[in-house]
Amino acid sequence: MSEPRYKLHWISAVVETAKALKELIGPFVILVFVNGFKGESTAPWYIQYWSLILFGVLLVFTLVSGIVKWRRFDYWFEDQELRIVSGLFVRKKRYIPFERIQSLDYTEGIFHRPFQLVKVKIETAGSSSGKDAEAELTAITKDAAQQIEKEIKQSKKMKVLGPEPALFDQIEWQLIREPEEVQIVQQPAPVIFSMTTSDLLMLATTSGGIGVILSGAIVFLSQIEELIPYDWLFGELKSFIRIGIFVVAILVVLGFLIVWLLSVAMTFLANYDFKVIREKDNLVITRGLLEKKRVTVPLKRVQNITITENPIRQLFGYGAVIINSAGGVGEGSRIKLFPLAKRNSMIEPLQELFPNMDFSEPTKKIGGRGKRFYYRFKLLVTLLPIAIVSYNFFPYGLLMLLLLPLVGLHGIWQYKTAAYTILTKQLTMRFRTISRQTVFTEKNRIQSMELDQNYFHRRKKVATLMVNVKSGMTLDAPAIRHMPQEDAEKFLSWYEFHPESTESQIEPDN
Amino acid sequence: MRRQPSNQLSKKGLTVWRLYGTIQSVIILAIAVGLGFLSYLFDWSNWIMFAVAVVVLVNAYLSIYLFPKIRWQRWRYEVREAEIELQHGLFIVNRTLIPMVRVQHVDTAEGPILRKYGLASITISTAATNHSIPALVTEEADELRNRISTFARVAKDDV
Repeated sequence: MSEPRYKLHWISAVVETAKALKELIGPFVILVFVNGFKGESTAPWYIQYWSLILFGVLLVFTLVSGIVKWRRFDYWFEDQELRIVSGLFVRKKRYIPFERIQSLDYTEGIFHRPFQLVKVKIETAGSSSGKDAEAELTAITKDAAQQIEKEIKQSKKMKVLGPEPALFDQIEWQLIREPEEVQIVQQPAPVIFSMTTSDLLMLATTSGGIGVILSGAIVFLSQIEELIPYDWLFGELKSFIRIGIFVVAILVVLGFLIVWLLSVAMTFLANYDFKVIREKDNLVITRGLLEKKRVTVPLKRVQNITITENPIRQLFGYGAVIINSAGGVGEGSRIKLFPLAKRNSMIEPLQELFPNMDFSEPTKKIGGRGKRFYYRFKLLVTLLPIAIVSYNFFPYGLLMLLLLPLVGLHGIWQYKTAAYTILTKQLTMRFRTISRQTVFTEKNRIQSMELDQNYFHRRKKVATLMVNVKSGMTLDAPAIRHMPQEDAEKFLSWYEFHPESTESQIEPDN
Repeated sequence: MRRQPSNQLSKKGLTVWRLYGTIQSVIILAIAVGLGFLSYLFDWSNWIMFAVAVVVLVNAYLSIYLFPKIRWQRWRYEVREAEIELQHGLFIVNRTLIPMVRVQHVDTAEGPILRKYGLASITISTAATNHSIPALVTEEADELRNRISTFARVAKDDV
């Protein structure tokens, strides 16, 4: 074992500790709130402050385990493999053959930046073993990261000619050429897509993430409500309790505003300097101000492309582009390629990246037969809560009836959006829940196709068509709902094997 | 109108489903008897017992007789040279088309009850989805598994 072994940078101990602490902070705050303000008690100090002591112990433990993790982590290159050994008591060894490595993703967090370090995530061709298939180097220098990339490149080059003894001459020739080729990569690759500041602001303000944070804020506010000293504030103004409600309302609105600004700021920071670069057969996406991220997606692993337009963005002619990759874990396989772009200016770069695909609008509407299915069942379902609320809060509860036209209009809106086009080697499907989605899928990326019909569908001869596509470890299944049965069957026969076009079916080209 | 896939499941499959239904009904009956005992003990209204009895009967009818029958009638499959087509479903009829080139692996499995009746189920996995055909005669399932994996060997990785 003559190969030199490498350690991570010591900052990785800090990063690991910080990560563990971040998970502890929630329970800690809750415990302090529950136990902290109990007032005077005669119990001995170690009972009074047991929660703080517990957390002190945990703190020391995380710190020590962070340091241990760093000390006991080694990686090196041997036998065309990246080898990693880690763990204190259980020594975990992971050997990743270079040819299985799909891409390296870099993240530079705030701890990394001052020391010129990066976190490297190693993506391998997705086996079914889930997230175990990848490895992470918490903090290494940029030079070390480059060295990994170089090792991989070199070994991949050897791999091509290595096992072929007849081509021995070429091996030498290839090896001599090598330094030259590495230099070519160093040249700046063409920027496919970048975002201007105004685009970025538009993205941040119309981001759908608001909803998530908003609901979090509501939970937070409902907790904080108990801390507001109402008695002290309104002790003498009990008769003016209306003012109290007014104040609370203002606080809530203020809270929303703060939360919204926060989400704007976070989106802004996360997507600052967003760039998509094409390096040979890979897409390289870089973004972030405080935490810089660099994600590499091999183009051949892209399974489908979705243009998604939320209603506000659609109004202004904006949309986002999301690609599903066969690699990655969880959300990592649904990648925002263009977080926000003008609808009419996104097609050109897309076409450049995916020259075999047709990004024209889907033209075929689904026709009137399926229309009723878009609102009938939904109306029926909404009737139930309406009935309950109307009965229990009699006069005002009837206001719930206003939901009916809303639900109905939403259904019709969905119906009007639905459209598709069947091309020779590609499907284009459009549908919406709230945001309008246009999905472009190549035939050879479709894993299976399904047609669903319930009893009422069968009576009216309509059907729902689903297209199953791999997305990381799971699947993405865009569907056109309630379309005429004969049209849905056209999808199936399009997808079926046709003897006259054998070669295009059995050997689909990428 | 697209024609249905040609093959049906083994008739013994229906028997097995009825058996599953019977087991389920017996469990529900046991719970109902327990409730009846409680009702006797605490002097509950007779209506409760009546409702429970109706539930037990209706459930038995559905899960032993009607549902297995519909399910069996509906279940169809066809393994062609280039694709597998399935049709199944009780309330929602689902038709699935899986090209051979997308099949990653095929498994057969037989539980104790299935084995007693000489049956096996077969699961076809693509890179993203799993599809299964229940209650095939074991030899047929094995033959099918081999055939699919032979066909599928031509597959090229597109993921």
